[in-house]
Amino acid sequence: MSAANLPRTEANVLRAHEGAVLAARFNANGEYCLSCGKDRTIRLWNPHRGLHIKTYKSHGREVRDVHVTLDNSKLCSCGGDRQVFYWDVATGRVIRKFRGHDSEVNAVKFNEYASVVASAGYDRSVRAWDCRSHSTEPIQIIDTFSDSVMSICLTKTEIIAGSVDGTFRTFDIRIGREISDDLGQPVNCISLSNDGNCVLASCLDSTLRLLDRSTGELLQEYKGHTCKSFKMDCCLTNTDAHVTGGSEDGYIYFWDLVDANVVSRFRAHSSVVTSVSYHPKDDCMISASVDGTIGVWKA
Amino acid sequence: MSSDDEDFVFYGTPIEREEEITTRKKKAIAEASGQLRTALPPWKQEVTDEEGRRRFHGAFTGGFSAGYYNTVGSKEGWTPQSFTSSRKNRAEVKKQSIYSFLDEDEKAELEGRSLGTSMQFDTFGFTAAELARKQAEKEQQQRPSTIPGPVPDELIVPATESIGVKLLLKMGWRQGRSIKDSNRNSLYDARREARKAFLALSDNMSSQIDDSKLEEEDAGNDQDLPIGSNANRFSKTTPAYVLNPKQDLYGLGYDPFKHAPEFREKKRLRMSGDKEMKPYRSLSIKGKIGPGFGIGALEDLDAEDEDVYASGYDFQDTYVQEIEEPSRVNVDTLRILDKKKDGVLSGFKVATNSESQLERFDSPVIPKDFVPHHKFLAPLGNDGKNAEIPPPEVPAPEDNNLKVLIEGVATLVARCGKLFEDLSREKNQSNPLFAFLSGGNGSDYYVRKLWEERQKRGEQTKLWEGKKPQNSEQLTAERRGKILGEKALEKSSRDSSSLVESAASVNIQFKLSDTFTKPASINDQPDIRKPFLDDPEKQKRFEQFLKEKYEGGLRTKDSGGSSNMSEAARARERLEFEAAAVAIEKGNSGKESKATSQLLADLTGAAGLQFITSGIEKDKVQQDEELITKAMYPKREEFQWRPAPILCKRFDLIDPYMGKPPPAPRARSKMDSLIFMPDSIKTANVEEHISTEHPSSSVPQVHNGKQGGEITDKEVASEVEVENVERPVDLYKAIFSDDSDDEEENTTSDQVEDTQKKIEVANTTLNRLIAGDFLESLGKELGLMVPPETPISEIKAGGRGPQKEAVNVDKGNGDPLPSEKKRSDSQYIVGSSTNGERTEMKPDNLHKSTDVFLSAVTRIDGGQTADRVSVGDSSKGRFPNAPGEERDLNTHRTLNRSQSSSSSEDERSRKRASRHRHKHRRSSTPDSDASSDSDDYRDRHHSKSRRKEKGSSREKSSSRRHSKHHKHRRKDSPSRSHRSSGTDHENRRRKKSKYED
Repeated sequence: MSAANLPRTEANVLRAHEGAVLAARFNANGEYCLSCGKDRTIRLWNPHRGLHIKTYKSHGREVRDVHVTLDNSKLCSCGGDRQVFYWDVATGRVIRKFRGHDSEVNAVKFNEYASVVASAGYDRSVRAWDCRSHSTEPIQIIDTFSDSVMSICLTKTEIIAGSVDGTFRTFDIRIGREISDDLGQPVNCISLSNDGNCVLASCLDSTLRLLDRSTGELLQEYKGHTCKSFKMDCCLTNTDAHVTGGSEDGYIYFWDLVDANVVSRFRAHSSVVTSVSYHPKDDCMISASVDGTIGVWKA
Repeated sequence: MSSDDEDFVFYGTPIEREEEITTRKKKAIAEASGQLRTALPPWKQEVTDEEGRRRFHGAFTGGFSAGYYNTVGSKEGWTPQSFTSSRKNRAEVKKQSIYSFLDEDEKAELEGRSLGTSMQFDTFGFTAAELARKQAEKEQQQRPSTIPGPVPDELIVPATESIGVKLLLKMGWRQGRSIKDSNRNSLYDARREARKAFLALSDNMSSQIDDSKLEEEDAGNDQDLPIGSNANRFSKTTPAYVLNPKQDLYGLGYDPFKHAPEFREKKRLRMSGDKEMKPYRSLSIKGKIGPGFGIGALEDLDAEDEDVYASGYDFQDTYVQEIEEPSRVNVDTLRILDKKKDGVLSGFKVATNSESQLERFDSPVIPKDFVPHHKFLAPLGNDGKNAEIPPPEVPAPEDNNLKVLIEGVATLVARCGKLFEDLSREKNQSNPLFAFLSGGNGSDYYVRKLWEERQKRGEQTKLWEGKKPQNSEQLTAERRGKILGEKALEKSSRDSSSLVESAASVNIQFKLSDTFTKPASINDQPDIRKPFLDDPEKQKRFEQFLKEKYEGGLRTKDSGGSSNMSEAARARERLEFEAAAVAIEKGNSGKESKATSQLLADLTGAAGLQFITSGIEKDKVQQDEELITKAMYPKREEFQWRPAPILCKRFDLIDPYMGKPPPAPRARSKMDSLIFMPDSIKTANVEEHISTEHPSSSVPQVHNGKQGGEITDKEVASEVEVENVERPVDLYKAIFSDDSDDEEENTTSDQVEDTQKKIEVANTTLNRLIAGDFLESLGKELGLMVPPETPISEIKAGGRGPQKEAVNVDKGNGDPLPSEKKRSDSQYIVGSSTNGERTEMKPDNLHKSTDVFLSAVTRIDGGQTADRVSVGDSSKGRFPNAPGEERDLNTHRTLNRSQSSSSSEDERSRKRASRHRHKHRRSSTPDSDASSDSDDYRDRHHSKSRRKEKGSSREKSSSRRHSKHHKHRRKDSPSRSHRSSGTDHENRRRKKSKYED
């Protein structure tokens, strides 16, 4: 994919959140997107038509992360109220609330079968919650981190979580190993490449780092943006050709994956870009910002 | 059942019914019959319902069945109700009443108890009318009439007539007529009001009765309309008696305006005013959502709730402001003003002289020559320091290095204050070069120099004070250039460098912040400003340092220094910086700039001499370090991690640890380690064995030197006694043993009889004690050699912790009274003997099995290790970037600190105690006679001691704080006596000699 195909033109602006939008995520097939923010709501959108579909209200404090299952039937969300909420998408009811984190929960993800929700919290722990049983106790607590866990990714067999202690750790369930990759800088966000072989970690020294997961070696560093104090997302494009991420000055950056040069950058928001999510198939991207808007960008 | 068989005779075969009776029922029946026969005590009886299910459950039993059968009752009860409502298919509002939550029996109960008016006393027929209306509505619901909606209640005639109505009718009154028409007009308003209220009330009623919202609306419409038209008609009827709904918060029947009816009107007005305002208020309430809505009351909003994005978005301010409050105040004040104007608040009159007039003061007259500009005086400390008597002039020390160093430090101290002196003294305690700080070589010179520097500083500041206005007055470019030492046309070379720019920016900053204290332009000599030009990193740090220095306030921990510098390196650099800063200042002051730069060079040179590394070297090291860190990250580590089996299951993976035993639970708290005894029991045994030997060795002194050494007796007694106090086992025993003093007394009287039996036991134990003697000596060695930090020795020592203190106390007290001595003597012996027995008993127990005491020992052990573990955890530390984490950590640390400090204190006392003990033992061991003697003695009273110990231990543990009280007790128990009889002595002698062979 050439740089020309990068989504840089604004297709829609989704406005409904009051206050900062903390995360925006496409669903599995990219038809819908979810957003959550400081106004304690989760909102479901059709970003392509700019439609606001549904609002999920139940959180007592800001909602920091949201994730939807592959079949779009369930949501999970987390936030400042120290709970992980498990929602039914259609009815908007909360099916379960998982309590156990000792402080704010930063990130949450479903596993492939939507049977487990894994959450990462400020309490330095990653917890796995069972969606199948009625138990609201965590089925696994991982507390080897030494600082707030900011971001989490799940694969079929692994739990990967990045922490402010400068590490991201891979917990391989299949072989029962924990692999800790120390980057020396607080890790803000991690995201997997689409082939699953690399991890992109956003560090608080305004650098994105791409690491090979099998060997743990640093493949590339991406610089130019500002990321010093906010939790900001980064991701790879659907073709794994570019790396994209927001900046604290409201810009969105695109880097070439291999050359690590800034291919493109444009001002997307008036304030910090908290979250970016790339469409799984098309050249489309959404970005959320502290200014309360969600931008839909298309090529 | 057998009795039943006997009592009754059955004919024919009973019809085998189908299994319709549940097992539960059977059980209930059986139980019922069983209860009939053998009346169980009430706490064993079980309450069942008619189905035979258990009715009440314990807090942790019951579970599903309790929930299901007792409260939920049906499967539907478990499923959450769903609510669906669409535009086409409106959801019906389900009315819930208390009845939907009650059981049948409760309903019956409620029905039986509910109060109602009897028809007979329904004077005005309202109840009847209501009933009739209800009835009509019910009927209407059942068969909808042509007219939709409920029938207006005017149309409904009460089905029954009350006795009052009947009477009235008989007296000629007819429906629809008022009883007294004459004052109809006057009552008109009241009636109307009443009617309205009544309608409102009945409206409420009907709405309660109504099941559908639709109908309710209809009813509302129907009833609202006729008010006006009905007014006439209703005026004819008797005024309806309407209760005023209670809307205030006063007590029942209390009328606050009873004696001041004028205010009632006022209140009413205000209320109506409020009502007008209502919409606004509700709006404003809607607009504002509580910031912590949905959060428990215990979760307070704290720093972490601050809006980190506040700068980016200010939606918080867009909330609708509450308009209600001020407007209300306005209304009130207006009204008050009105009243004031009129002077009519009925019952009041305007006062002729008001006392509430505010006293006003004129503003002070400002003198004409006043300039609104505050001049700060010279620093306060200066005057006082100048006034000091100057220390005598002292010749400089010969050593030039030392001289330079002293001068440098003096300037620094003068510059930074006493704190610096203290700091450097602390830092360089071992450095002989810095001896002058602590009164060593060259201290006089230092004092003199310091004074001189202070004087100088004072002058300087004064000088600057004078200079300042001039500076700010007219500062042309040339002038500034002159001050800065710039050459007018030569700016191409260096000015463009970023360094200068950054320096300038720094200058601006601390010019801004330091206008008052540092008016001098510190950038006078740019060359001196950058003493570390060859090392940009260092220069940067130096600038940072300067900035912080002149900004004042608290300095950050690593002021400018990169975090990977070592503490020593940082300190060194800091000294250098300080010196450089002073030199710069000196240069600024315009005096001997050359000399100061020389001084600076000297200083840095000296620093290089004494601090080994020079700046450049350090820089190299640093760069290397950076490179290393670059190379270091990313760094990969691998650990074992055990996923939970259920997690594997949910991920559809095979548990890699399947079949392997679960990981050992971590002992996280003292409680955990209480339960899981570590393996150190064994070692503890040995140690315990050794330690138990000790008191025995001191006891014989009592016997041998009974007449002579009363003081030693006392010592021993108190020692042993307090030792017992400290034994953890005592605490446990104290808690778990039943405390009866008489038991103790009994045992003492029984002791003599028991002794014979004990001898066999004594033999066996003595054998062990020989081994114990060996171990004792070993222990002595160990105790001397092994540092007391090991948990075991800690325990050992812990047993005797306060021993020495107690002894000291006794010694300090001296011999209280000679008359008391005799008594106390015997008592002490008793005490010591019991103690001897007590401790002696342990080895025996050790062999039998683990004892409470031992477990207690291990408990302590575990606890301490747990402590250590936790300390280790915290010291591992976390990333310093997260402030919240830091806070957490701090709490951890403080916790641990407190623990460790307390434990260290314990340790200290234990050390002391153990030291003392060893001394003591050494003194006692030569007397081998005595030791074996005592052993024997202890053996005799061995088994009895166990019983005895219960009481004594309790006593001892309680006496930890109340030792005085304890002494009293001992004195007050004369029943205890010295029980070492002569024969016993003889026996023991014999045995002892045998062992000596």
